[in-house]
Amino acid sequence: MQELDTVIELSRLQFAATALYHYLFVPLTLGLSVLLATMETIYVITGRDIYRQMTHFWSKLFAINFALGVATGLTMEFEFGTNWSTYSHFVGDIFGAPLAIEGLMAFFLESTFVGLMLFGWGKLSRGKHLLVTYMVALGSNLSALWILVANGYMQNPVGSVFNPDTMRMELTSLPDLIFSPEAQAKFVHTSIAGYVTAAIFVVGISAFYLLRRRHIELAKRSFRVAALFGVFATVGVISLGDALGFINGSAQPTKLAAMEGLWETAEAPAGFNLIAWPNQEEKRNDFEVQVPYLLTPLVTHTFDESIPGVNDLEADAETKIRDGIPALIALQTLRENPDDAEARATFDAHQDNLGYALLVQRYAEDVSQATDAQIAKAAADTIPPVATVFWSFRVMVVTAFLMMAFLILAVIYSLRGTLHRHNWFLRLAPWMIPVPFIANEAGWIVAELGRQPWTVYGQLPTWLSASTHSVGYMVFSLIGFVLLYTLFIVIEMFLMVKFIRLGPSEGKHESPAEPTSQRHSSQWSEA
Amino acid sequence: MDPYILLKVTWWVLLGVLLIGLAVMVGMDMGVGAALRYLGRTDGERRAVINMIAPHWDGNQVWFILGGGAVFAAWPTIYATAFSGLYVVMLVLLWSMIVRPLGFEYRSKLPGERWRGAWDWMLFVSGAVPMIVFGAAMGNMLEGVPFHFSWNMISYYTGSFISLFNPFAVLCGVMSLALALYQGGAMVMNRGTGVIRERACRLVTVAGLAALAVFTICGIWVSMMHGYEITAGGDPAGPALPLNKTVETASGAWLANYGAHPALWLIPAAVYLAVLGGIAAARAGLSHLAWWLGALAWAATLVTLGTAMFPFLMPSSSEPSHSLTVWDASSSLGTLGWMLAFTAVFIPIIGIYTSWAFWVMRGKVTPESIAHDEHAY
Amino acid sequence: MKQILIFLFWLLIAVVAIALTIVLGERGAWYFAWVLGTVMIVLIAAAGTAIIDARYEEHHDDQY
Repeated sequence: MQELDTVIELSRLQFAATALYHYLFVPLTLGLSVLLATMETIYVITGRDIYRQMTHFWSKLFAINFALGVATGLTMEFEFGTNWSTYSHFVGDIFGAPLAIEGLMAFFLESTFVGLMLFGWGKLSRGKHLLVTYMVALGSNLSALWILVANGYMQNPVGSVFNPDTMRMELTSLPDLIFSPEAQAKFVHTSIAGYVTAAIFVVGISAFYLLRRRHIELAKRSFRVAALFGVFATVGVISLGDALGFINGSAQPTKLAAMEGLWETAEAPAGFNLIAWPNQEEKRNDFEVQVPYLLTPLVTHTFDESIPGVNDLEADAETKIRDGIPALIALQTLRENPDDAEARATFDAHQDNLGYALLVQRYAEDVSQATDAQIAKAAADTIPPVATVFWSFRVMVVTAFLMMAFLILAVIYSLRGTLHRHNWFLRLAPWMIPVPFIANEAGWIVAELGRQPWTVYGQLPTWLSASTHSVGYMVFSLIGFVLLYTLFIVIEMFLMVKFIRLGPSEGKHESPAEPTSQRHSSQWSEA
Repeated sequence: MDPYILLKVTWWVLLGVLLIGLAVMVGMDMGVGAALRYLGRTDGERRAVINMIAPHWDGNQVWFILGGGAVFAAWPTIYATAFSGLYVVMLVLLWSMIVRPLGFEYRSKLPGERWRGAWDWMLFVSGAVPMIVFGAAMGNMLEGVPFHFSWNMISYYTGSFISLFNPFAVLCGVMSLALALYQGGAMVMNRGTGVIRERACRLVTVAGLAALAVFTICGIWVSMMHGYEITAGGDPAGPALPLNKTVETASGAWLANYGAHPALWLIPAAVYLAVLGGIAAARAGLSHLAWWLGALAWAATLVTLGTAMFPFLMPSSSEPSHSLTVWDASSSLGTLGWMLAFTAVFIPIIGIYTSWAFWVMRGKVTPESIAHDEHAY
Repeated sequence: MKQILIFLFWLLIAVVAIALTIVLGERGAWYFAWVLGTVMIVLIAAAGTAIIDARYEEHHDDQY
């Protein structure tokens, strides 16, 4: 048991590390591809060469980032199998489908066209190259769509049923899976969060040039297009974040209770915990600052619904565990004799709570002998780590509003043409670049840690999901990933900073001089 | 015929198509990477070689990623059991493969000799190692892997990781690397000129002959090795649960399918014909023909393997009755059906735009042509 | 002939767009919102930048 726990914890650590690391590069790819398409659209419509140079320069940085996104994505595609084999068998019939569709529909599109986007400048007409860039943007966002359909299933398993003959969940409706509200809201939220990430990245670097009065023509236009792009995106991110919270409320009440630090069920009108210090041991907040009346409308979108707290949810879980135990016992009987009609009837009657019985199996190998104490322990497990989820959620929300305020100012100054009078803003902007990355990672922590103790909410507990490796294997692989990935990020940051400092090489190269760009060529000379 | 059986067999064929696509397209780029230091002696020559595959390596690599996703969707039990059982091998594969995108993307970003030299070695490792692992994995499937399941389908692997690199598996790995080098050489002949093209032609000859030699040894080895056969249960239309059958091992059992249908011997014969024809074509300067014959050789090799093993996919050496077969390791009827529909729609579309991409980027790449191209790697 | 092919191509795009709208509008309201939102963001950012570019034509480097 001790060894099993260690292996599970190491597997979780490794997955979290590789996923969070992969997710450092993904949002920038999602957003920058669309932003590149936007810049190139302006080039194709106006014909001004400066926009070609812009697309060019930013696509160089895109490529540096993209390479690491691809490299670390390889790990993700196989890590379910290598480290979560029981999970992969248990839900592979459902979970594998969106992953395969992702390859067919998105990865081929993205990866084939990214080669043409980077290497096809001299070989494609302007219109065709623009189309290629849009295909890269579409491909990268479609890949986000399908992986989030898969993730949506882990959060809210719809369109599937457990089949005792194959000992796994099986697909009943692919459309239900694709159009699950959780998947929809997650995709839109994540994709647009990528737009914001890219917008702030471009604004920050452009500000760096403007402050040093380098590449002004390119930087001020990049700044403007990115600020406009980003300000609408932040509005989208925040409204989708709210929608996601609302959907979570019904699908995953335990996550919601952890996000809001709710121990007792909150009768309307409930106060919103602005700041709190959750104490999981004693099931209370050691300290809290509330905004009265705010929580109920925020979460339920009504004024009179109550929101279940941790204590009631735990009691509810205990009932479900007791209800699920007969299903697990019947399943064992069915494995020995598939024709046992009585066992099948028992299983059918209790199968909704089979997952809850698996929770208690962690403490009682033979669930028919589970004691009250063991059941209570399993019920307590259904609550995720409240403090971490609570604070990650707040970090995400605060940074989101911070980014919105920043981008609104950026748009105002840029549209008025008064940026040069606000040096403080230009100085601040590069420091904003890490903020969306922090928000993205915090968002993942809320989503995935808030789902614990489940890998598939209400169906499959995390403790049962991992491969049966030895501790030695897990330590070996974890160290390997950490070393390799650390080396990667050092090289990536080094190149990124180097190319940012180098800046765009405007005018140096074979620019197919066009009439419009000739007209503006006087503006290229820099101050 | 029962639609479930039909879908299982269809997906067995598609698994083969996928592996062939992966071996040909990814193998070609890996062959180029592994032979980079031979094909190009100066930095200019090496850059030329890299830029021949620069616009396409990423698209080609998707075959590998799709391989993971499609096996997950259509053969979830294989995905779960094989990748966790072969854990250390998978790690070696992944770690060597994830260096490759960086090698392509970052190598020529800085001028330093040591920087580029280090990335050249990275490209060598990330080309040679994955192909050896790919072949070794296939070899292990033929030999059987020590794993079993508990009643609730938790899989346990009971072998050591060293045993996965046994002599037969390593030999299969060499075969795979040789075919990859052949394919990479044919690709470089297509797009290279002068001395680079000459070296590539030599590579095609040597690698092709090596592949045939190893293929022959592997064939003799397989004819004497213990194969597997289902002796009871294993209903083709049955549920996907690999616990309700009896399997026995017998020397030479892997040749049973060939014994039953002698026409199948044409498949391994095609490997010899394709490789010898390909070498002749390359030496006659018909590099495109050599490339296509190389692809045929890959296809025939993998079909030879699949035919020998059918209906087995991943036999268990420690608990043969838990072996995974075409009949009991697949997804449900619904998932197989949906995935077939998606495949039928998207594979032709992928074929169209991939061909277009190759067509747009056609033409020779020389050290001179990339010297002044700021988009090149 | 070429004209007809181009016409058919755009007709196909229009039919796909309509079909997508119907399916997404029915079952995937958020997906539909994403399509509209992304198109809107791209168009506003592109048009806004281009228009301001035209208006500030006569300005010089030191103003941004």
